[in-house]
Amino acid sequence: MATYIYAITAADHPLRLDGLVGVGENPSELRVVRSERHAAVVSDAPAELRAKRRDLVAHQSVLERLMTEGAALPMRFGLVGPDDDQVRAALEQEQDTYAQRLEELDGRLEYNLKVARDEDSLLREILTESDEARRLRDHTRSNPDAHGEKVALGELVSREIEARSDAAGERIAAELAPAAERSSDAGPTKAHLLNVSYLVARDDAAAFSQAVHEAAEKYGDDYTFTLNGPLPPYSFV
Amino acid sequence: MSLVQQSSAPNSTGGSGNLYDVLELILDKGLVIDAFVRVSLVGIEILKIDVRVVVASVDTYLRFAEACNRLDLESGRKAPTQLTDIVGDTVESGAKGKSKGALTGAVEAFTESFQGGRDDSEDKDKEKEEEKRPARKSSSSRRTSQRREE
Repeated sequence: MATYIYAITAADHPLRLDGLVGVGENPSELRVVRSERHAAVVSDAPAELRAKRRDLVAHQSVLERLMTEGAALPMRFGLVGPDDDQVRAALEQEQDTYAQRLEELDGRLEYNLKVARDEDSLLREILTESDEARRLRDHTRSNPDAHGEKVALGELVSREIEARSDAAGERIAAELAPAAERSSDAGPTKAHLLNVSYLVARDDAAAFSQAVHEAAEKYGDDYTFTLNGPLPPYSFV
Repeated sequence: MSLVQQSSAPNSTGGSGNLYDVLELILDKGLVIDAFVRVSLVGIEILKIDVRVVVASVDTYLRFAEACNRLDLESGRKAPTQLTDIVGDTVESGAKGKSKGALTGAVEAFTESFQGGRDDSEDKDKEKEEEKRPARKSSSSRRTSQRREE
C-alpha cells in the first residue's frame, strides 16, 4: 500500500491529529511513521489523487495543525512513498538534514505577500511621464489607421510597464525585508508585480504584519497588497 | 490604501477560505523526498498561478495601445464629483446586496426550522445552520476590525 506523506517533524512533536482527515475520496486515517529522531505524518495514498479542493484543504489542514504545536516540514502536495518502511528508511537516511531544517524553522511562520497594481493607474503614470508615449497616443487617437504608431505605442508602454513593475516590486521587497528573517521571491506573475514569501519568527509576526500594513498605506489605492499567513513554511524547506 | 489580509490560522477558516492565494505554495513548494514519486496530478496546469511571460507580440502591443487610447488622463481631475457619485452608488448597491443576502439566509433558516416537524434530524439541521451563521459573522467582523486597524 503506497504511503502519502504530509509532513516531517521531530520525534517529540505532540502530533495531535484528532479531527483531521487525509486526502482522497474515502480518506484513510492519519497515522505516524517513526524513526529514532523523527516522525512522518502519513495516510494510505488514494488510488487516484487529483488536486481537488477537498484534498488540498485536507493536506493544508494537517500542516496547519502541526504548525501550531511545533516545527514541521511541510511536504509538497502529492508526495507518495512505496510503503511505511521506506518512509522510515528515508527519515533515517536524511535525519541530519531534517534535524537542521527543523531547527531553522522552529518558532517561525511563513507569510505570503502578493502586490498588484491597477493597470489604468500605471498607464496613466506612463502617459503622464513619457512625452513619447503621449505623442504616440495623441497621434493614434486622431489617426485610427496608424497601425505602425499603435504598435510603437504598445511596445513602448509594455516596456515601461515591465520596468516600472519590476522597480516597484524591488522597492517594496527591499522595504519589507528587514521585518522578516528570510524571504523567498517566487517572481512576478501576470497579475502581481511582487509575489514573495517571508519567514517570520512567531514573536515578530505582529510587527511584520504592521510593516506590511504601513507599506500598503504608503503605496495607496492603486496598489493591492494581499497578505496570507501564518502558513506552514512551504517556501523555506 | 488597499490591503487584504487573510489569516489561515486553524480554528478560523481552516485554510480553505484563501486556498487560491496559496495554491502555488502547496503545489510547487514544500519538501520532496527525491526517491519518492509525486503522483501525477491531472489538470494541475490550469490551477497554477500564471507566471508572467512577456509576450512581445503585436497583439499585446495593440491591446496596450487601445488601453492608452481609451484612458482619459483628465477624467480624474475634471469630474471628481461625478466619479465620487458612481463610487457611492456602487458601494451602496453593494451594501444593499449584501444585507439582502444575509437576510435571505436568515429567512431560509427560519423557514427550515419551522417546516417539516420536530424530529431530531431537523433539529440538528437547525443547529448546524445556527452554528454556521455566527461563524460567518465573526469572520466578517474580524476582517472589518483588521480594516479598521489600518
